[in-house]
Amino acid sequence: MTATTPPPAAANQPVQPRPSGAPASGVGGALVLVGTRVALWLGVQLLLAGVLVVGGATPAGRALNDAAGWWMVYGALVDLGTLGVIGWLLRRDGRSYRHLLGPPAAGWQVALGALGVLAATVPAVAFGAEINKAFYGDATPPMLAVIDVPPLASIFSVLVVPLLAELAEPVAYLGVILPRLERRLRRSWLAAAIVVAVWAGEHAFYPLLTSHGSLDLGFAAYRAVSVLPFLATWTALWYALGRRLLPIMAARWVFNGGTAVALALGLVG
Amino acid sequence: MALPTEEPKHRRILYQLTWLAAAMSLGHHIDHLIRGNAVGWPVTSEVNAFTASLVVYPIIATGLLLYRAGRVGPGFWALVSGGGAVFVSAVHFGPAAVEPPELILDHYDPPILGWLAFTWLVTFATVLAITSLYETRLWWQQRQARPATRSADSEVTR
Repeated sequence: MTATTPPPAAANQPVQPRPSGAPASGVGGALVLVGTRVALWLGVQLLLAGVLVVGGATPAGRALNDAAGWWMVYGALVDLGTLGVIGWLLRRDGRSYRHLLGPPAAGWQVALGALGVLAATVPAVAFGAEINKAFYGDATPPMLAVIDVPPLASIFSVLVVPLLAELAEPVAYLGVILPRLERRLRRSWLAAAIVVAVWAGEHAFYPLLTSHGSLDLGFAAYRAVSVLPFLATWTALWYALGRRLLPIMAARWVFNGGTAVALALGLVG
Repeated sequence: MALPTEEPKHRRILYQLTWLAAAMSLGHHIDHLIRGNAVGWPVTSEVNAFTASLVVYPIIATGLLLYRAGRVGPGFWALVSGGGAVFVSAVHFGPAAVEPPELILDHYDPPILGWLAFTWLVTFATVLAITSLYETRLWWQQRQARPATRSADSEVTR
């Protein structure tokens, strides 16, 4: 039982094929990708805050937090930008998007693998719950509590955003950035540790919140720390599943889509 | 009949993961002993989950001998790791957890030690789960490769 088995004809092939030949863009392409994502998270929220102030919808002092209420919607722009950069890098390297997802697997194998990923993520969920308690007690964490969008935007955040997120985020970090770092550093564990740290660090930027007139750095730290066990688990699973991304993307879609549905239905927040 | 063996690289990784899981298990049992709030026989007279969990060491020792002799393969280790992951998760994180996170987090002074012990536990359970998935994949690949090997053998002896 596994979701990651190659077809019988390929069973004797190496389990973890590495892409042949270094891509033209190397680690520079990885930096562009991370930089683009962080810049988009910051830029789109600031732009939205500006629009809210200019439109008179919110006072300047509250604009950043009000804009943050839309982060699960404007995340689509960040992921579209990410896909744009991935497409640009792929064109430069003459590769396909499918190539980034790893060796092939049948649909049922992906489904079973996703179940395995979900099961393996249980300890991270328990850890995340305790971190939430340590930072915010029984209250809903701010990135969920702050969500306040009209129904149409809620539907968009349920149907479109989680799908876009899976096509962009894990593919960027595990499909593009990690292999490039591995080739540069020649140490998989070091490359994986850096990717997990950077990936967690990116979470500190979405959304930005203010508290008592300045940036809420405690919340930013909470964001980065609370996702660490999840990202470490999924990165390790990427290796365990023979560098196949689809089971991880499917499981993450269940997580993120489930959160979006719960928010839309008012079950949290 | 000995089982077909994996590639040396996979055997090495499997051994490393097994030793890592054993070391993490030992560390978690030491955490139990330090806290003293969830221990059983042989430390106390009560037979409980702590006592049951000690069976993992003879299982690992026997498994390593049998694996070295080619009598068991990745499927055996997938069951051991997967069973361990389910047991540890159910005891600590499940809805009917007999030892919920509070029993670890709230019983250390300074509290950072409780967080270290809890992080250790979460890492341990995750390592078991990931190891089980890895071994399951190896087992499946071995199964898929077996008919191909057999037909190749029959071609040679024909």
